[in-house]
Amino acid sequence: MRTPLQRFRIPTRFRPVGLLPFFSFVALFLLWPAVSLFRLALQPTKNSEISAIHEAITGQYLESFIYTIKLSLLTALLGVLFGSLLAASVLRIQRPKWFRHFMTSFTGVAANLGGIPLAFAFIAALGTQGLITKLIDSFGINLADTGFRISNFAGITIVYLYFQIPLMFLIMVPAFDGLRATWAESAASLGAAPWQYWRHIGLPLLTPALLGGFLLLFSNAFSAYATAYALSSGGARLVPVQIRFFLQGNTITGKDNLGYALAAWMIIIMFITMTGYLIIRRRAEKWQQ
Amino acid sequence: MSALEFINVSKNFGGVQALEGFGLALAQGELVTLLGPSGCGKTTALRIAAGFETSDSGSIVVNSTDIAARPAHQRHMGMVFQSYSLFPHLNVRDNVSFGLRVRGIHSDERRKRAEEMLDLVRLSDLGHRMPHQISGGQQQRVALARALATEPHVLLLDEPLSALDAKIRVEVRDEIRRLNRDLGVTTLFVTHDQDEAMSISDRICVMNNGVIEQVGSPRDVYNNPSSSFVAHFVGSINTLHKGNTRILIRPENLVLTTHDENAQWRGVITDITFVGAFTKISLRLENDDTPISVLAISAQIDNSITIGLNIGINEAAQ
Amino acid sequence: MKRVGKAWPYIFIALAIIFFIAPLLSMARFAFQRIPVISLGKNNLFKKWTADGLLVTLRDPEFKHSLSVSLKVAFFTVIVLLLMMIPTTLLVHLSTPRWRGLVETVTILPYVVPPIALVVGVSGTYRSIAPWFLASNYSLVPFYAILAMPFTFRSLDVGIKALDLRTLVDAARSLGSSSLRVMWNVLLPNLRTSIVNATFLTITVVLGEFTIASLLLKRTLPMYMAQEQGREPQGALGLGLLILVLTTLLFTLVGMMRRKNSASNVPQQINSGMVP
Repeated sequence: MRTPLQRFRIPTRFRPVGLLPFFSFVALFLLWPAVSLFRLALQPTKNSEISAIHEAITGQYLESFIYTIKLSLLTALLGVLFGSLLAASVLRIQRPKWFRHFMTSFTGVAANLGGIPLAFAFIAALGTQGLITKLIDSFGINLADTGFRISNFAGITIVYLYFQIPLMFLIMVPAFDGLRATWAESAASLGAAPWQYWRHIGLPLLTPALLGGFLLLFSNAFSAYATAYALSSGGARLVPVQIRFFLQGNTITGKDNLGYALAAWMIIIMFITMTGYLIIRRRAEKWQQ
Repeated sequence: MSALEFINVSKNFGGVQALEGFGLALAQGELVTLLGPSGCGKTTALRIAAGFETSDSGSIVVNSTDIAARPAHQRHMGMVFQSYSLFPHLNVRDNVSFGLRVRGIHSDERRKRAEEMLDLVRLSDLGHRMPHQISGGQQQRVALARALATEPHVLLLDEPLSALDAKIRVEVRDEIRRLNRDLGVTTLFVTHDQDEAMSISDRICVMNNGVIEQVGSPRDVYNNPSSSFVAHFVGSINTLHKGNTRILIRPENLVLTTHDENAQWRGVITDITFVGAFTKISLRLENDDTPISVLAISAQIDNSITIGLNIGINEAAQ
Repeated sequence: MKRVGKAWPYIFIALAIIFFIAPLLSMARFAFQRIPVISLGKNNLFKKWTADGLLVTLRDPEFKHSLSVSLKVAFFTVIVLLLMMIPTTLLVHLSTPRWRGLVETVTILPYVVPPIALVVGVSGTYRSIAPWFLASNYSLVPFYAILAMPFTFRSLDVGIKALDLRTLVDAARSLGSSSLRVMWNVLLPNLRTSIVNATFLTITVVLGEFTIASLLLKRTLPMYMAQEQGREPQGALGLGLLILVLTTLLFTLVGMMRRKNSASNVPQQINSGMVP
């Protein structure tokens, strides 16, 4: 094939050499550390017969995984639901025109708003000394008595929704935009009532975005660390926070391999999730052109 | 009894009068074209008939029933858009049988009917294909089959040919005309292209600024335009002066003459365009610089007719 | 019935705005009002507002140090990323189109390895082999470049696709430009939007990243904030708010630029990798 860079006169089979810096960089700073995790995780821990990667899915560690996956599933589900509703609502409002741009910019910030500042904001709002806690208290409801803590399951769920909903919003706005008005009108003229349009046309066409969004939100919550850490000062039962404990406490426990094993399992779960996401995206691309 | 009738329909879009006292009746099996420049209200009229817009006043009558208050999905109209708008996740057959599916018709019968409809538009081999795997012309024929599968009261076509290539456009145009004749389906066709309107319609309804300028057969509208707007919009026309009166003459109703010293007008040839059987000659009138054009049979034009020639122009004998 | 149908988008948006604004307002109140929540009431709602806490923090030499570390790391991350990704992306479009699929897949890999897993792997490998490397603040640079790689590639990829590169390069050639000059005079100016876009996103990622910095014990801005929360909570929260405001401005700027000469409507800030 003739290419515009022919003038360089590099024989075709040497051309990929130009990609060497990129591949070496990824290999050195991403693949090597990631693959080494698995090697380290296969060794047994102190006072244990089984390999760390096996031990990491037993007992309290298994519980941690279940807890983290539950949290990720729940925040992904709620994020999909509310994010889609928010996108549909914002698109319904035609005027003023700037409103939609404003919402897109704002959600762009919020979707990326993780870590320390977000945790601060929610501690100031819903922590034991929080403003909203106080507001609710003035209506006669003591938040702490209901079992709610900003660092327990319900609390982390609410905090995570702060970035999950905007992320889903950003995924769904183009998806809703992709639904052409003439499809709805064609369906109506063919006798489909609005619910039939959504059942047979609208929902199937949105399914890739909904499913893909769900997987993206799941992986987003699953790999989140900073927010959870700052919310509960390292005491949470989330896998990412547990990994930190092993990495820093390795001299005491002698179980630092467990940290590697937990991280390896995270990569496996993320790999499955992202593969699913890519398959869905590839399939949808076919008829979205 | 007419198959579809607009009675005194008006529609205002935020201060812009899109339709004003619009009245039109389509006889059973008739193909009527709404023709006009963009923004003349033709699409609005079609969308009001389909139920996608509601009129501010007036009624839409189908088979003696006023359906103005009915939602679109209860009107039983077949609609075809410029953008094909096939459902991208359904194959061709499922697209065609969609209207039957939402009516709860059994799948075997749906399949049979879809095959029939695809036969009708000569695409029976493509039933299993996805919309993105077939050409634009094929997609539009599938859209026609889909709209006709439920045997609608009226077929509504919104610029269905505008997105197609010139050659395919003629094919699909003839297809529409054939389906209209063979099935006897009343058809309302919207276009801004006068050639399209001329070649396909039983009657043309020329519109401008939300009102009807003229309704009549293509021949009628062309030969006896009721207004200067219609004369200019349908075909091309020259504005000439005969003494103190202004007259409108079609290019083919003028003849050039090299030897008549008393020709009605004189002008200088500025351009000669050969278009096959005919040749279009552009001129500039001697006394008032008005550009005009004359359409002559090519066989009658010889080498003496050249650019820059001063020549006499007469009205053709009727 | 119809009225409810028309009202629900407004109701839902109102609820959403409350959900998104309330934590920020609480944060602002905590940062800038010197009254404990317990004694807060209607009569003193607007009293004792002050920016003293934030000012104390801003004057803290440790803050200045952490800011300079974060800015330096951000600067070098941007340089490394652009030097690596611009030639790579151009190459897969111009010269080795068969490799595009593989390169694109590789740029998605950082999503498969969460930052916490990456940093654990890093300490499991580099700590024993090259401890001097992890001792330097700049050891963060390659890993932040990895985090920012997916959207940097996407941004450049979309920009190049929109250019009709082949025609552009051929046109410049026919006018007698050499290959390197084509690169410098024709391609880079046309990719300006993509480059600025990727640069801004990278900066926000680096300024917000906590996981890797915290486990490698680097004194970056987010690390400083987390520590300051224990010493001077008002200053820490004020700083958090300030960073939020600045990030919002940056994003609005990028968004405005993208809208002005946009190649695609897909918001590229999706999954910038900064998340949380």
